[in-house]
Amino acid sequence: MDSTVFIYAGVLLKAMGTTIWLSWLALLIGALGGFILALMQTSRFRALRIVTLLYTQFFVSVPVLIVLFFCYYGLPRLFDIEISSFAAATIALAAHASAMLSAVIAAGITSVGRGQWEAAQVSGMTYPQLMRHIIMPQAAQVILPPFVGVYIRLVKESSIAALIGYVELTQTGLLIRESTHAGLAIIGVVALLYFILNYSISLAGGALERRLKVAGRPPLGARQ
Amino acid sequence: MEFLAGQLRPIYPYLGELYSAAWTTLVLSLGAIVAALVLGTIVAFGRVSAHRLVRIAATFYVEFLRNIPLLVLLYFIYFLLPALGLRFSPFVSALIGMALHESAYMTEILRAGLSAVPVGQYEAAQSQGMTRFQLQRHIVLPQVFRTIYVPLGTQFTMVIIASSLASAISVDEVSGWMQTAGADTFRFFDVFLIAAFVYVVLCQLVNLLHTVVGRLLFRAKG
Repeated sequence: MDSTVFIYAGVLLKAMGTTIWLSWLALLIGALGGFILALMQTSRFRALRIVTLLYTQFFVSVPVLIVLFFCYYGLPRLFDIEISSFAAATIALAAHASAMLSAVIAAGITSVGRGQWEAAQVSGMTYPQLMRHIIMPQAAQVILPPFVGVYIRLVKESSIAALIGYVELTQTGLLIRESTHAGLAIIGVVALLYFILNYSISLAGGALERRLKVAGRPPLGARQ
Repeated sequence: MEFLAGQLRPIYPYLGELYSAAWTTLVLSLGAIVAALVLGTIVAFGRVSAHRLVRIAATFYVEFLRNIPLLVLLYFIYFLLPALGLRFSPFVSALIGMALHESAYMTEILRAGLSAVPVGQYEAAQSQGMTRFQLQRHIVLPQVFRTIYVPLGTQFTMVIIASSLASAISVDEVSGWMQTAGADTFRFFDVFLIAAFVYVVLCQLVNLLHTVVGRLLFRAKG
């Protein structure tokens, strides 16, 4: 390894910031979409449940990469609009994230016992109140661990944005490799940066999980 | 129907390539699955080894590979092999990269299966005078196989989906086909639906095979 890696340290760290920003944005949009989908999936209306099932099954069983290609090359032609590589990557990742998260959030919602719903309804709570004060605080414990897992997956998946030329961490590594003689070392450093980032996320997720448990609620799912 | 045929006409010349692309995806995925299972079994025994250093090494292997993107690993292997003086096709690079990546996930599935076997069973088998090999062969592995069968099936379909990244190092599989055919015909919506259809069919085929084999293997227990 020569000094190239050190010269480009700042560039690499900035690129890591771009990766975090892209995956974070996709996570936020995906969580919002996943929440709406989860409400649809647990609703009384069959049509809503079927639509949700089709959406989630499609995006879970199709590679994000081809969705990304479609968003970047296909959408502009289809709707005659301009889409930047950043927008295309965000849309594709968020679509995938919402499908993964809807399953996670739906599992959290259904883990709260039926009796709690009935008790809240009997107390005269509206559906938003019931969700806000009774269901979601309890569902959060069940949702958090897989939610962190989805975020780590998104960070890794965001690397495919490099394939449509968006300059995030992976693409930065490839560009530096091409323009210098850093060779393999730079790809190794990129891998190491991803590892550090994702490992920190999983450690932080674990800490958060323990704090939620300490908050005094017994583990869920077992409770009726 | 006629409208559909007219819509799809520009794509006809590319359907032959799609056929071979689908084969590449399938062969690449199956090859990666077999190699990852072999690697994963070795590392899983490392994860539950009595030696602390072996356990640490195996844990590091899993944590590192699970936390870096497959794409970065593929590029690394793709650039590494020539640097070592090895000339292989991109397909081999993709196979090695995917096998390494998936072996980390297989390890975790296998480890969960191994630790689900109660300690009492080991002790009972040892007190019967079984050798370590007999113990693994007759007591532990049959139970592990049963526990991990379902999660393994889920992982198999994930391998097929993950294989789409191989197009980045110029392997002509289905996502690569989509990019080429799309760029040539400008029918990105159509080729997207076709590629998506192929992935769904391949995943469902593997799912079906997994279910049928599972029924045959575990029929006695219903």
